[in-house]
Amino acid sequence: MSVFKEHKTIADRAASDRSRHRHKIEKAIKESIKDVVAEESIIGQSGKKKIRIPVKGIKEHRFVYGVNENNKQVGSAQGKEVKEGQRIGHRRRRQPEDGEGNNPGNAPGEEMYEIEMSLEELAGYLFSDLDLPELEKKNFKFTTQEKMKRKGKRPYGIRPRLSKKDTIKQKIKRKKAAVKAGSYDPESGDRFAFHESDLRYKHIAPVIKTNTAAVVFFVMDVSGSMDSSKKFLARSFFFLLYQFLNHKYSTINVVFVSHTAEAHEVNEEQFFTQVPNGGTLVSTGLKKVEEIIDKRYHPNNWNIYTFYCGDGDNWAIDNQESLSAFKRLKEINQAMCYTEIGKLQGHREYSLFTGTGGTPERRLWDWTISIEDKDFKRVRLKESKDIWPAFKKLFGGRT
Amino acid sequence: MADWSMEELLGWDKEICSLGKSLNLDWYPIEYEICDYKEMMGHMAYTGLPTHYRHWSYGKSFDRIQTEYNLGMSGLPYEMIINSNPSISYLMTENPMATHILTMAHCVGHSDFFKNNRMFSETGADTVIDKFKSAGKRVRKYMEDPNIGIDKVESILDSCHTIRYQVPRTPGLKRRNHKQLKEYYQSLILNDSNGSWNNFDINKIPLEPDTNLLAFIAKHDRYLEEWERDLITIVEQESLYFIPQACTKIMNEGWACMMHEKIVNSLDIPDNYFLSFIRLHNQVVRPHLGRINPYHLGFKIFKYIEKNQGFEECLRARETHSDETFIKTYLNEELCKELNLFTYSFNRREGYNKIIDVAGKESWQRVRDDLIKSVGLNSIPVVIVKELRKDGTLILEHEHDGRDLELSEANKVFEHINRLWHGEVRFTTVIEDETWEF
Repeated sequence: MSVFKEHKTIADRAASDRSRHRHKIEKAIKESIKDVVAEESIIGQSGKKKIRIPVKGIKEHRFVYGVNENNKQVGSAQGKEVKEGQRIGHRRRRQPEDGEGNNPGNAPGEEMYEIEMSLEELAGYLFSDLDLPELEKKNFKFTTQEKMKRKGKRPYGIRPRLSKKDTIKQKIKRKKAAVKAGSYDPESGDRFAFHESDLRYKHIAPVIKTNTAAVVFFVMDVSGSMDSSKKFLARSFFFLLYQFLNHKYSTINVVFVSHTAEAHEVNEEQFFTQVPNGGTLVSTGLKKVEEIIDKRYHPNNWNIYTFYCGDGDNWAIDNQESLSAFKRLKEINQAMCYTEIGKLQGHREYSLFTGTGGTPERRLWDWTISIEDKDFKRVRLKESKDIWPAFKKLFGGRT
Repeated sequence: MADWSMEELLGWDKEICSLGKSLNLDWYPIEYEICDYKEMMGHMAYTGLPTHYRHWSYGKSFDRIQTEYNLGMSGLPYEMIINSNPSISYLMTENPMATHILTMAHCVGHSDFFKNNRMFSETGADTVIDKFKSAGKRVRKYMEDPNIGIDKVESILDSCHTIRYQVPRTPGLKRRNHKQLKEYYQSLILNDSNGSWNNFDINKIPLEPDTNLLAFIAKHDRYLEEWERDLITIVEQESLYFIPQACTKIMNEGWACMMHEKIVNSLDIPDNYFLSFIRLHNQVVRPHLGRINPYHLGFKIFKYIEKNQGFEECLRARETHSDETFIKTYLNEELCKELNLFTYSFNRREGYNKIIDVAGKESWQRVRDDLIKSVGLNSIPVVIVKELRKDGTLILEHEHDGRDLELSEANKVFEHINRLWHGEVRFTTVIEDETWEF
């Protein structure tokens, strides 16, 4: 004889383990986002745009045999005709080998989650990791403005601010109370007069409003030496910067300045697709920024950020000029960044004679070291995985 | 709503039990717990054990089971039974009476198998529930300990789980500790008459290659904290408990299916119940095209034995065999051909699975042997501890049997072993006929 138990568990025993698992997935999402960021091309897109992010499941590893000719499996095919050498099942790609595992979902048993989120959410995810308080102290200036705003009612004030409606309300209240207490008979026809304590005045108080507008200048070298892969890196980095600032400020303007030997303000599309040509004078781009700031963005009202991106190939005669432009801009910017793309080329390329009278040419990377501080950073991007660390260096997050 | 009442369950149970007795079955008393589908999913996620310790991976499997169930990708099992005394089994409230009758008869078969098959003789059915309960409590205690915390506990468990199947595959063999082994080998050397033990290094650790990775680490790693050692042992003990079930999947299911068929056929059940019983039964024991359905294979073999050698032989087989020996002994040419078994493997060049052998006059033995290679734990690579050097270096080796390891996975597992072991780890295998060191 067996025993039967009808038993009710109230507790959902898997609840906590499920939440642990989800927690792990969330972490994986954050990891994956960093890869996605490097591949998206959406500066200035509206925050509502949805992007899909593939996330690898949290896999539990074991020793298993590889799927190959030697690992034979057995199947049954009762009532079916099978013969040797016959192909069965669907065509499968070879499993990615270690190190080339960039084909998510290809290996059997691999679990993939695909998560769709808007850019806003993505930015939220990305920046939740960073050490924000520290960072706000450093790089954010909220300009303030005084403004008068209504702030309730009070029983005294000047005549023009008398609120008739609220005064009447007070009188009605008093009248009802009087009827209840029996001190006034509404039938009697007597007038129930206003009293001085009924008067109510609108109250106005000054409030301090923080101005959270920011303008971001993206300056890029589009000369012949900047090929499309370099631009791609620049674009990814700019995207991240844009998203971050957009996350922090209520309004944000973006200005694209491209330069060769002369500078132009361009729109986003032109910025990234312009056919490269010409030489390189970094200072022209920076001067263009100064010009635009003078015209449209007064530093008292705007938080200004300037991000320069190039490959460091500047004409030697321009280096001094560029450095002083950087210095001037630094004074009025919240944060600046000089980004160089590609490998550090070292000091091998001395030119024998330069405009500055025979001293070896130094690259802009070396020039700018003298002004590097908390508001002016230099970062170097060699490949897309450098982007996130560079970003953290710039905004002082934890690494 | 359910079409059954408790009284009905009790009534059918009584008849099933008396029929079981008349078949000479001998099983642990069964404790049926009646639960809803949600609880059932919980039991499934935690390997059926009501007192299992917690770990995020079980939350993961719960989520998967739930998703698949909600999407209609898979149903929930009708039966689930634990090798314990009394055997705990679950009946789902949502199931109709016909399903319960089949489940109960099926459970009698399983419980009989647990009690009689020799592989299970050391699983400690009487104490297993309490053992897991105490382990679960300890894990919880470590998680709540402010000096340890859930993250550290999970990290150790994560690593242990990667090598949880690296335990001895032959249940019943006593594990001798180093001291006992040393005494044994010393006596061999002392009684050595022909000099075959002259070059034996008695100070070597381990004296014999050790297949129990977890136990070896727990025993020989001097830098482990007590709670870490305990966690490793908990995982090892759980594996040892489940090994017999993995080794007898085909027999166990085949036996239970044969028993439920026998019992239900002799029960005097109403026609409408009988129809749904037939439908269910066929669903369970149907062959899966291109794969092996253990229910089907086991059922077929047992039926074949009964037909040719009688029921007595079946009873004997369920006592003495494991899947490996069961197939070797009873799967003959005729059965292989009837089941139309074939072997296949993945052809890298073509990108297809390709059939290698189809069971025929000459090839059926090859097919059978390849089947044995993939049953139970034979589909899991064997990794042994070769040596523990004086400087704390652990030498591991994969026992290569012609099948190469999947390197990407093995690399990950290797990382986990490194995390567990305080010292250097060397691990070698053979990849495409060449020695490979990680």
